[in-house]
Amino acid sequence: MSDKVLPREPLAYTAVDDIEKIHDRLREGFRTRKTRSIEYRKQQLAQLGYMLQDNHERFEHAFMLDFRRHVLDSHLAELGSVHSAVLGCLRDVDQWAKETPIPFNLNFYFMSPKTTAIAAGNAVMLKPSELNIATAALLAELFPKYLDPDMFAIVNGSIKETQKLLELRWDHIMFTGSIRVGRIVAEAAAKHLTPTTLELGGKSPVIIDGSSKGKNIKLAARRLAWGRMMNCGQTCVAPDYILVPRECQDEFVREIKLALESMYPSSRGGPRQSDSYSRIISIGQFDRIKRLLDGTKGKIVAGGQGEREERFLAPTISVDDLNDSDRLGREIFGPVLPIVPVDSVDEAIAFINSREHPLALMVFSNDPEFQQYVGDRTQSGSYMINDCLFQATVDGLPFGGIGSSGYGNHVGRYGFETFTHSRATMDSPAWMDLKILYGSRYPPFRKEDVSRIKLIWGEGYIPYPRLGEAPSLRMRMGKVPWIKLLELVIAAWALKSLWWDRNGNGGWVKEWVTGFWAGKLRLGWT
Amino acid sequence: MGTTHQSSPVVSTKAAKSLKYTPLQDIPEIRNTLRTTFKSGKTLDLAYRKTQLLQLAYLLKENEARFIEAFKTDLGRPELEVNALELHSTIGECVTAWKNVDKWAKPEGVPFDMTFGVMSPKMYKQPKGLGLVIGPFNYPILCSVGPLIGAIAAGCPSVLKMSELTPTISGLVADLWPKYMDLEYTQVVNGAIPETTALLDLQWDHRSGTVGKIVAKAAAKFLTPTTLELGGQCPVFLDTDMDLQVATRRILWGKTINAGQSCTAPNHIFVPLDQQAKLVEAFKKTYAEFYPEGAGYSQSISHIVSEGHFHRLKTLIDKTDGEIVCGGETDASQLFIAPTILQNVKLDDPLMKAELFGPILPIIPVKDYQEALDYTNAGDHPLALYIYSNNAALKERIIGSTISGAVDINECMLHMAVPGLPFGGVGQSGSGAYMGKFSYDTFTHHRSSIHNPRWTDMLFGWRYPPYTSSKLKSASSQAPSIPAPRPGPGIAEVSSGGWFTWVSPKFIPTLVAIALTMRQCSFPRPP
Repeated sequence: MSDKVLPREPLAYTAVDDIEKIHDRLREGFRTRKTRSIEYRKQQLAQLGYMLQDNHERFEHAFMLDFRRHVLDSHLAELGSVHSAVLGCLRDVDQWAKETPIPFNLNFYFMSPKTTAIAAGNAVMLKPSELNIATAALLAELFPKYLDPDMFAIVNGSIKETQKLLELRWDHIMFTGSIRVGRIVAEAAAKHLTPTTLELGGKSPVIIDGSSKGKNIKLAARRLAWGRMMNCGQTCVAPDYILVPRECQDEFVREIKLALESMYPSSRGGPRQSDSYSRIISIGQFDRIKRLLDGTKGKIVAGGQGEREERFLAPTISVDDLNDSDRLGREIFGPVLPIVPVDSVDEAIAFINSREHPLALMVFSNDPEFQQYVGDRTQSGSYMINDCLFQATVDGLPFGGIGSSGYGNHVGRYGFETFTHSRATMDSPAWMDLKILYGSRYPPFRKEDVSRIKLIWGEGYIPYPRLGEAPSLRMRMGKVPWIKLLELVIAAWALKSLWWDRNGNGGWVKEWVTGFWAGKLRLGWT
Repeated sequence: MGTTHQSSPVVSTKAAKSLKYTPLQDIPEIRNTLRTTFKSGKTLDLAYRKTQLLQLAYLLKENEARFIEAFKTDLGRPELEVNALELHSTIGECVTAWKNVDKWAKPEGVPFDMTFGVMSPKMYKQPKGLGLVIGPFNYPILCSVGPLIGAIAAGCPSVLKMSELTPTISGLVADLWPKYMDLEYTQVVNGAIPETTALLDLQWDHRSGTVGKIVAKAAAKFLTPTTLELGGQCPVFLDTDMDLQVATRRILWGKTINAGQSCTAPNHIFVPLDQQAKLVEAFKKTYAEFYPEGAGYSQSISHIVSEGHFHRLKTLIDKTDGEIVCGGETDASQLFIAPTILQNVKLDDPLMKAELFGPILPIIPVKDYQEALDYTNAGDHPLALYIYSNNAALKERIIGSTISGAVDINECMLHMAVPGLPFGGVGQSGSGAYMGKFSYDTFTHHRSSIHNPRWTDMLFGWRYPPYTSSKLKSASSQAPSIPAPRPGPGIAEVSSGGWFTWVSPKFIPTLVAIALTMRQCSFPRPP
């Protein structure tokens, strides 16, 4: 593997004038109602799966060019996850679509997991990030080969192209990225009243339990080092800073250094030579993160070296002060992990609550009380106990933020629902208009109509007394589980009639049960 | 007792017009109070939320007579409509939330998964934060207090902004609120544009409202999620193969209830040209049945909410080229417009420019349903779409080729009242949904969580660098394969995982039991 800068061809942007045409083409495609067929959706999903499978080497190469990322990481974080998303959709889409037969319209979808949008029967425009030069070019090449061009299109470009996209009217916009751009997208969407799903980010904190009951520093160090350094820290749910009890600080720093050493052993050239360590996506991003390291505040205890041309930044651990740090401002989004000593868990919670809600909050503790204590007093998109990053891949869990970390969910069933409109429906037969049913709603209204409507519609009965009052007889009777009691009586009667027949002799159930036990006893089983 | 001969109920000239607006400088103060309450964690207590839900229910129930009076003053609304549509439905919502909130608030598990089952994945239900509910004038209780119930059940301290067009009702709610509700949890703000602007200038954690674009834009500034309940022209597709008396009765009911000022009221009717005459006959008969003394004398008709809306509707009736079949009378002093049915209305008629939101019902003859479908699909998605027909193929065709918030067959508007159905729009008719559990979920954040014990590193240890070829192998071994053949003609059934899906731990006891029983049965019975 070369240590030289990996050469990337410049990304070909979509012509701005074409964007509207593509939009109209998709709108037309959607109008043909082709996507209403579940069969068609499954076909397209499978195509997406095969696109990844057939070209996995090319994708791995593109990730290599963009991030210098190892195959295993690409597999774990991208290809494998999208792959299982495709499979989950293929498996379940029939069932999901049953309850919600009418799909949403046309979408506008920024980053990778678009599988659910297809499963929900949408025509989709995908705009990959212009920073992923190699990957975006590969997607643009492969998309039309595998997917129906009338329904699915890719637009590449940067600000100008994105502005054009946002001017047009879509039926759902899903955006993954920064808070600043998220606000621009939300404002553009509001003009057309387009619902949006925003996947933003923010500084996701970690709280370490230092009490003897819940302490597990070694485990925390290993998992956090992995979570932060994977993909060179460029993960929205990655741990951003660690709040550690002051007395455990030294032990934690020692353990995390050991963990880093075991991952990128210096005997094999450290992270720079390691094929398991990725690179920063662009020079611009590299400079931004490097500035964070060059600040005078705090102390860097590991790493800190960088190689601008190579976009290489060593895994960096710093010790920072809670009230005075450059690194606790904006989201770091790079391989830098500040350790912030605190005096108590309450100080840590107060610090977290004084800021915007994070996308993820992690605690490392073996003490269920501690886990509950932190969970109840904080708000975050997801809450992880003793691990990180996995929330985005668990089938069946919603993945989404709260507050400034975004809103709306995706992944699996939640993605399907994001892109689906649940259309309420009813079919009312003519006999519903009998006077004793809903016939009383029609004018002219008479006194008896009012009382009849009260009877059918419910007359606003509240089955619980006012504050300080005793419950009425009706309320007390209503609390008795009548249906359950009736069920019990029927079950007892049925059992009785199965056990004894009409003449009081043993029925077949009694025969069978006693026979079974007798057989067992004879064979000496017990 | 039949209808009486007295003239229609007098809409007082808004004697109570002096609705007390909330002072502007109090509004940030109110939000700070709510923020403090939320931070105290008091609203996490389910018992507290339930008390507030009950108090709200009793607020409506114990003041029923005063509400009926207030509705008469503001909207001239008959008692039956107030009871059925506003008070009892809203009390019902409170009771539903009160009964179910314990269940709704429980952490929710996810279906078992081989890979992640050991990490105990689940979702905690947490309140989003502060809620802002902006209500409309047409259903001042159902559509204002209704969504607020979701916020109360979810534990979000909230502000309810009532409409300034219904001064008596909004004033009554504001009067009663401190007597029943905890002002640290929910507050009512009254006012017009400046007050609403002041509310929108603050940061909230969830909003739901009806002034569409303004609300959405103001929310985008703070990245606040919004639920929008807007409206649109709800079309009716009518086929004369069904009992026309039933159809016309239901349509006219939907159109005249609250004098057509309902977001889901049928807006216009599409009928094949040759069937129009039949339909008009049926409408005339129903009209006479509803208003035996003539519409002007009926006590069963609501009035128009404001002079502005009255003049808008009056101008529409004057300008249209359609022929009036029934109604057409107006009375400016009472803000009264008789239910007006028009025939031979063209698609480009002034009546079709925007949502009517009044008791005017145009019948549009079309040459076939395709023309009506094309017209509907070319416009914005309506909040509801109604089909009156017994023809299964036609119903399916219309449902399949249109998009709308809801679709009712042989009925209108009632889907709002069905427990368990979401109420919400799509596209320009809004986004998000409420009613029952949907309201609760609107104001709740589903916080996903996993708890990964230490020993799982034996299974997932391959994720840590340095990445060796053996680690890569174990990673790949957990990668799934695509269970469907490469698409081409005839891709059909995707197997749902085969027998392997069934070997999940929950079936192990059953399998053991079956195995034991089979073993027992296979033994030769001793003589």
